[in-house]
Amino acid sequence: MAKAALLRSHRMAYVTLKNVKKIYPGKVVAVQDFNLEIRDKEFVVLVGPSGCGKSTTLRMIAGLEDITEGDLFIGEERMNDVAPKDRDIAMVFQNYALYPHMTVYENMAFALKLRRAPKAEIDKKVREAAEILDITSYLDRKPKALSGGQRQRVAIGRAIVREPQVFLMDEPLSNLDAKLRNQMRAEIIKLRHRIDTTFVYVTHDQTEAMTLGDRIVIMKDGFIQQIGTPQEVFNHPANVFVAGFIGSPQMNLFDAQLRKDDEKYFVEVAGASFALSERIAAKLRRDSEGEVIVGIRPEHIRICAQEGDDTMSAAVEVSEMMGSEIHLHLRAQDKEIVLRVNTTELPEAYRAGIPYGTQLHFTFPGDLLHLFDKESQKNLIGE
Amino acid sequence: MIQRKNAAGRIHLLVARVVVYTILIFLSALCLFSFYLLIVNASRSNAQLQAGFSLLPQGNFFTNLKNAWNDASINIPRGVLNSFLVAGLTAVLTTYFSALTAYGIHAYTFRGKKAVFTCIMAVMMIPPQVSAVGFVQLMTKLGMTNSFLPLILPGIAAPVVFFYMKQYLESVLPMEIVEAARCDGSSEFSTFNRIVLPIMKPALAVQLIFSFVASWNNYFIPALLLDKAEMKTVPIMIAQLRSADYSKFDMGKVYMFILLAILPVLIVYIFLSRSIIKGVTAGSVKG
Repeated sequence: MAKAALLRSHRMAYVTLKNVKKIYPGKVVAVQDFNLEIRDKEFVVLVGPSGCGKSTTLRMIAGLEDITEGDLFIGEERMNDVAPKDRDIAMVFQNYALYPHMTVYENMAFALKLRRAPKAEIDKKVREAAEILDITSYLDRKPKALSGGQRQRVAIGRAIVREPQVFLMDEPLSNLDAKLRNQMRAEIIKLRHRIDTTFVYVTHDQTEAMTLGDRIVIMKDGFIQQIGTPQEVFNHPANVFVAGFIGSPQMNLFDAQLRKDDEKYFVEVAGASFALSERIAAKLRRDSEGEVIVGIRPEHIRICAQEGDDTMSAAVEVSEMMGSEIHLHLRAQDKEIVLRVNTTELPEAYRAGIPYGTQLHFTFPGDLLHLFDKESQKNLIGE
Repeated sequence: MIQRKNAAGRIHLLVARVVVYTILIFLSALCLFSFYLLIVNASRSNAQLQAGFSLLPQGNFFTNLKNAWNDASINIPRGVLNSFLVAGLTAVLTTYFSALTAYGIHAYTFRGKKAVFTCIMAVMMIPPQVSAVGFVQLMTKLGMTNSFLPLILPGIAAPVVFFYMKQYLESVLPMEIVEAARCDGSSEFSTFNRIVLPIMKPALAVQLIFSFVASWNNYFIPALLLDKAEMKTVPIMIAQLRSADYSKFDMGKVYMFILLAILPVLIVYIFLSRSIIKGVTAGSVKG
C-alpha cells in the first residue's frame, strides 16, 4: 500500500484536446477536428482500424508529432509547443523500444538519472516498480535476454518509475501472443489501480478497449465516431461503423424497410417482418417509413422451432465450436448471418456443433434491434 | 531407403564442406602470404634482397631492426607517434561526426534534407587528388603547413563513412527508441551520445578501423604538407628510406620499417574486432 502511495501522482492531470487537426506533408489528413476531455485519473482508450489516426493522436499528446491546428492542454498548460521531455508524460511503445545496450535496471533508471535524482532514490523506485511488475530477477539482464512479455513489462516499468502525469500506451500488447496478451491485459488493469494516474491507451483490438477503458473513443479516417463508456458504445452505437466495430463476432447488419402499421413499427428483412418493441419505438428519431439498416448482435438472435412471419430461415455454412458457445455462420439470400449460441441452450445432438446445411429458423427480438439511417448511417434510436 | 538417403546427404555435406574450407584456406593463405613475405624480407640483408626472391627467412632480422632504428635520417618512434596521433584523431573525428551527420539525416525531417543528402553524396564522387592542389594552396596561405590540423580536421567531412553510417542506422535504429529517450527526458544531443552511439558500436568499430588504416597509410596529402623532420609520418619516412641515395639504400631496413609500421594497425584491429562481431541491437525491439 505504501508502494502504491509512493507511485501515485497527486497532480491534476486532465488532458484536453480542442479542435486538434493533424495534416502531414502532402496534405494527408491524419486527424480531423478532434475534441476530447480526458478527466484526471481516467483511463481512455482510442480504438479504430489501422490508419484511423489513433496513434497519431497519442503521439501528438506525447509531443512526438506536431499539432497542425487546435490546442492541447495537460492540466492548465497549453502543450502544443512543449518538448516531450517537458510534458511529464511517459509512453509505452508497441515495439517496447528498450535501450538494447542497457540492462533492465539501467533502462528503468535512465529517465531518473537524466533528472539527476539521488542514487538511493533511483534504486528504490526501480526496485519498487520491478517488484510491482515481477521483473526483479531480470534487473541485470539485457533486453535481448528477455521474452516479449518480459520486455513489455520492462517498458511499462520504465514508464512507472517516472511517475508521470499522463501515461500513454501505444498498442502495448499487439506484439504478444494471445495468452500473454490476456494475462498482460489483466496486469494493466491491476497496474492502473495501483498507480492511479491518467491513462491514454491506443489499440485496434476492441476487446482491449472494452475491458480496459473507462471511456472509449472510436475513430475512423481521422474522425471521432463515438465517445462513450464500454457499455454505451456497445449498447448504443452511434453509427453503423461503431456497431460493426465493437462486439465480437460483429453485429449483423442488413438493409431493411421500416414500416409503420397501426402505431406499431416493423422492420422487414428478406421477407420477414420484425416488430420493434414499444421501448424502442418510443425512442425512434424518425416516424417516416423507408429504407433503414437494421442491426442485431449475434448473441441476440433467437433460434425458433417453427417457421413464422417473424422468422427467417437459413442454412448452416460454418459451425465454429468455441467451447461454451457455438458461432454459426448462416446464409440466407446472399446475406451472411452470424449467430452466437450457448451450447447449453442447444438440444443434446447439436452440442458438439451443427452439421453443414442444417436449415435453421430464427427471429430478431424487437427490443434488441439497432436501427440506422441508410444515408447518414447514424443510429435512429435515441438514448 | 531412408538410411541410404541420409548417407548420401552426409557425403554431400562433407564434399561441400571440403570445397568450402579449401577455398577459404586458399583465400586466407593468399591474404597472409604478403605478411609472411614481409617478415621474410625483413630478415634478409639488402644484398640478399637484391639477389632475388626467397620464401625462407634469413638471419638479418635484428641487424635490420638495429639499422632501421638507428638510421639518422628517420626517427621511427617519432614517426610512429606522429602517425598514431594523426590516424587516431582522424579516425575518432571521422567516425563521430559521420555518425552524427548520418543520425541527423536519418532521424530528422527538415526542409532541404534530400538536397543535403545529394550534396554529401556528390562530394563522394570527387577524388582527393582533384582538390589537393587547391587544398594545399589554401593551407599554405593559412600558414598551416607542417601542422597536423589540416590532416585531422578534414576527416570530419567523410561522405563515404557518412553513407555507411546512414545505411547502418536505417537497419538498426527504430525511431521508437529515440522517441522513448525523448519522452524519458533526454535532450537530442544526449540521446545521440547515450543511446544512438552505443547502438552503433559495431559500425563505429568498423569505421574506426577503416579510417585509422586509411589515415595511417595516407602518403599523398601529408607528403605535400609536412616537410619538417619531426612532423613526418610513417609513410613519408618509408618513402624517404626508399629514395635514399645508392650508398645508403638498404631494402632490408625498408622492409623492417614497414613491418614495424603495420604493428599499430594490427593492434587497433585486434582491439576493435571484438565489437564488430557483437550484434548489440539484438532484442531491443521485436524482430
